[in-house]
Amino acid sequence: MPNVFAPQVFFIVFREVLEAVIIVSVLLSFLKQCLGQPDQDQKIYKRLVRQVWFGSLSGVFLCLVIGGIFIGVFYGVGKDIWSQSEDLWEGIFYLIATIIITVMGLALLRINKMKEKWRLKIAHALVDKAKHHNAKSWLGAWGKRNALFILPFITTMREGVEAVVFVGGVSLGLPATEFPLPVITGLLAGLFVGYLIYRGGNVLSIQLFLIASTSVLYLIAAGMFSKAVWSLQFHVFALRVGSDVAEEGNGPGSYDILESVWHVNCCNPETDNGWDVFNALLGWQNSATYGSVISYNIYWIAIMVAISCLLYEERTGSLPLKKQTLATLAKVPGLKRWAKKKQAISAEERAEIVRQGEAHLAGGAFLEAENSEEEDDRPAEK
Amino acid sequence: MAIIPHTALWAAIVLLFSTLCTAKTVTYDFNVTWVTANPDGLMERKVIGVNNQWPLPVIEVEKGDQLVVNMHNGLGDKNASIHFHGMYQNGTNEMDGPIMVTQCPIPPGADFVYNFTVNQNGTYWYHCHADYCYPDGYRQALIVHDTESYFYDQYEEEFTVTVSDWYHELVEGIAPDFLSVYNPTGAEPIPQAFLFNDTLNTNLVVKPNTTYLIRLINIGAFVAQYFYIEDHTFTIVEIDGIYTEPTEADTLYIAIAQRYAILLTTKNTTDKNYPIVTVADSALLDTIPSDLRLNLTNWLEYNADADHPQAVMTVDDATDLVPYDDFTLTPYDKMPLLPEPDYTLELSVNMEILGNGEGYALLNNISYTAAKVPTIFSVMSSGSLATNELVYGEFTHPIVLEHNDVVQVILNNNDGGSHPFHLHGHAFQVIDRTPSYGASFYSYVDGDPVPYNASNHTAFPAYPARRDTFVLPPQGHFVIRFVADNPGVWMFHCHIDWHLSQGLGMLFIEAPTQMQERLNIPQNHYDVCKTGGIPSEGNAAANTMDYLDLKGQNTQVGWLPGGFTARGVVALVFSCVSAVIGIAFLVVYGLSDLKFKGREEEGMGEGGKVGGKGVGKATVMEASRENSGEEVK
Repeated sequence: MPNVFAPQVFFIVFREVLEAVIIVSVLLSFLKQCLGQPDQDQKIYKRLVRQVWFGSLSGVFLCLVIGGIFIGVFYGVGKDIWSQSEDLWEGIFYLIATIIITVMGLALLRINKMKEKWRLKIAHALVDKAKHHNAKSWLGAWGKRNALFILPFITTMREGVEAVVFVGGVSLGLPATEFPLPVITGLLAGLFVGYLIYRGGNVLSIQLFLIASTSVLYLIAAGMFSKAVWSLQFHVFALRVGSDVAEEGNGPGSYDILESVWHVNCCNPETDNGWDVFNALLGWQNSATYGSVISYNIYWIAIMVAISCLLYEERTGSLPLKKQTLATLAKVPGLKRWAKKKQAISAEERAEIVRQGEAHLAGGAFLEAENSEEEDDRPAEK
Repeated sequence: MAIIPHTALWAAIVLLFSTLCTAKTVTYDFNVTWVTANPDGLMERKVIGVNNQWPLPVIEVEKGDQLVVNMHNGLGDKNASIHFHGMYQNGTNEMDGPIMVTQCPIPPGADFVYNFTVNQNGTYWYHCHADYCYPDGYRQALIVHDTESYFYDQYEEEFTVTVSDWYHELVEGIAPDFLSVYNPTGAEPIPQAFLFNDTLNTNLVVKPNTTYLIRLINIGAFVAQYFYIEDHTFTIVEIDGIYTEPTEADTLYIAIAQRYAILLTTKNTTDKNYPIVTVADSALLDTIPSDLRLNLTNWLEYNADADHPQAVMTVDDATDLVPYDDFTLTPYDKMPLLPEPDYTLELSVNMEILGNGEGYALLNNISYTAAKVPTIFSVMSSGSLATNELVYGEFTHPIVLEHNDVVQVILNNNDGGSHPFHLHGHAFQVIDRTPSYGASFYSYVDGDPVPYNASNHTAFPAYPARRDTFVLPPQGHFVIRFVADNPGVWMFHCHIDWHLSQGLGMLFIEAPTQMQERLNIPQNHYDVCKTGGIPSEGNAAANTMDYLDLKGQNTQVGWLPGGFTARGVVALVFSCVSAVIGIAFLVVYGLSDLKFKGREEEGMGEGGKVGGKGVGKATVMEASRENSGEEVK
């Protein structure tokens, strides 16, 4: 078990795969609704479905190539630098990993909302494609014709590269041997759950599974945050002690008694088999400091506050002062674009986008582009 | 520097006090002040000088002399005292010198008179016995000349040679880094240099074919040194003031505070000068900085014009040198092995980290912690309770000895370092030591410590060597015997000053009843206590009402917690609770996602039906109603 399975890697791969699967499934269901009805042309529908699959798979393939290069370079270049002051780097890497997991983890619990979001995004993209591409240029025509290839290709590639970067981020301090197993299992689990969602399996049990895995993910993240603080503190301690700190093993002198909350002379996750699992999953340390204990608790309190805010926002539509703040920020020249984006668009706009997207698809904007250029104007008029 | 004859001073004293009388009074006035010195040529530093001079004057007396040292503490910022190392002080326990044991610390500005009769011969030294004091330079040789020694007519001239380690910083500046949570191994501070007669590159000027008496003293704070002279052997005639049967040797191991007197007969030629080699025992050093010179060369100078060659090292490591085993020496007086002990004390040396994270030294789990009242005053003021060990507190580690008992001390070393143990007020018989000097001296370091086994030990020597400072081998043991015939409070401690500051010491309260009868402590001693604000009566907790009530005594730092303490449990429970509540939040958040699922299916379904016709506006609007907070990227 030790050194072959990094749970945080598993969860990140799982999460990104799930998101990619959802994108593909949203696209497929769009197609099915607009073109896949029994009274419609099955040939066109099947061609477009093929395009979607082809696009997603090539996206996945490309991201695997990029990811391989990324990780290879990363381990080739970095390892020597980091092994020199292990605790410092470990602290920094764990901190990065905690931030990544924390920011992306909650989305796992919003799988249905995520679908909704992607529906909107894809519709938006379809409208964009249909409207703005100059069909007179060769590239524009090609892009339009193959929109259902490009869209999944870009999105799966983006999710994939994101996964690679995140996996790299959370595992900066890990040996390379800990990668393959969690990546493969995460991939399979993500595909499996994604398939279940697409098939519309038992909604509640899927959701329970996602809740359970998110809980584990946050347990890991809390442990990593605590461990990050611990490592940074230990780095400072080890710097002052010098090389002697390694001589002390688990016993007295191997930790800073002035900072210690508890210390048991056993169960060291780095040296005693079995305890590294507790360390990875729950952040167990045989030597806890004020810093590590307080940071662990603060982490959970921060999660509780964040969830409360999200729930409040979902319920009331906005956080207190959010509109005011964004309105103020929108007046600042540099931040205008960003604030505009953040300002919630109305339900009407939203519905309009989705409707337009569906209309373009159903209207065959991406099918007949090669046949007649005049048809370009038709969707645009709507 | 090489010769320290001090003939001028000697002559003056001889003139001042009658030459006819064998027992004269020798008086030294010591105004102790800060001066600067640069003995190693590497750095000028502040040192403790006497009468604005450093190196300090060698005290020279003859057996039977009354030695008076009028000390004035002119340091201004530091307590001080003088211990006359090796002096038995029989009847004058209060002149022994260790602060908080036989006297109060002498505060800045105060005067103190040391006055006692020297009833012994040989090579001794004196040094400050206050906290963080003598390694700052306050140490020098004390020679008791003897015209009646059995070897007196065998030598022409005598030399005194001191060897020492040397730090560039004041002890009080080094100590905080040593006794620190950041020094978990208890690694002793590494000296910056080693000195030979408080300097370097000196000559002992000799004539050919002549015999000299050389007195060797390690006046350092930490590091033992090997001593040999290239191409010469010599004869050991004295150790720690005890004359021995003349014994030929070529190499000596002089631990801190140990002394040897040797007879050296020079060669019958003057072509060459020979290196006198001193090699620091690197086994004691945790790290060896590249710029630290471990071996020094000084010269036996036959011919000032000839070459002064540097020593050629024959070994890679100092521990490969094989010194003469002092255990095998026989005292010249052939004092036989003391009879079976009336009292046996078995002690173990441990170095451990206590509750504040700092390293301490423990004898039977007690780290010596001075009492609030110098223990001698507790003896003098406690009346009939003086024989009760309770009076002296738990952490001075007091052992009350009956007058004239034969005492045996077994010292087992659970530590991987060697420790030169010194007993005040006595020269003790050394009757067992395992492992012995030589190739096997470090042989127990890698295994478990080997304690003394009373039913299985090598036969005790018939005429055991006697000394006052004896080296305890790493993870080995030694056994010593002495007669408790010297009423007083005598400290037994490791003479490595760093280890003493870690508490590697204890007290023998020897014949307290006889102490009360015989000691007559001068008023001056009480006055010094008053000046320094230190009580001079009461038990270890300075309680004068109830001598058995030790509430408020000085205690050693508590033990390191072995596992979970109350705060650890609270912290763990809090962490678990916050994790559980946090997960509960996640579950609530996760379950509330199901509402999107329901709406989405509804929206998708209806949108699907009408989407193709492009008129599903109202339905899609409904589907997106709840998502109004969502942003579009």
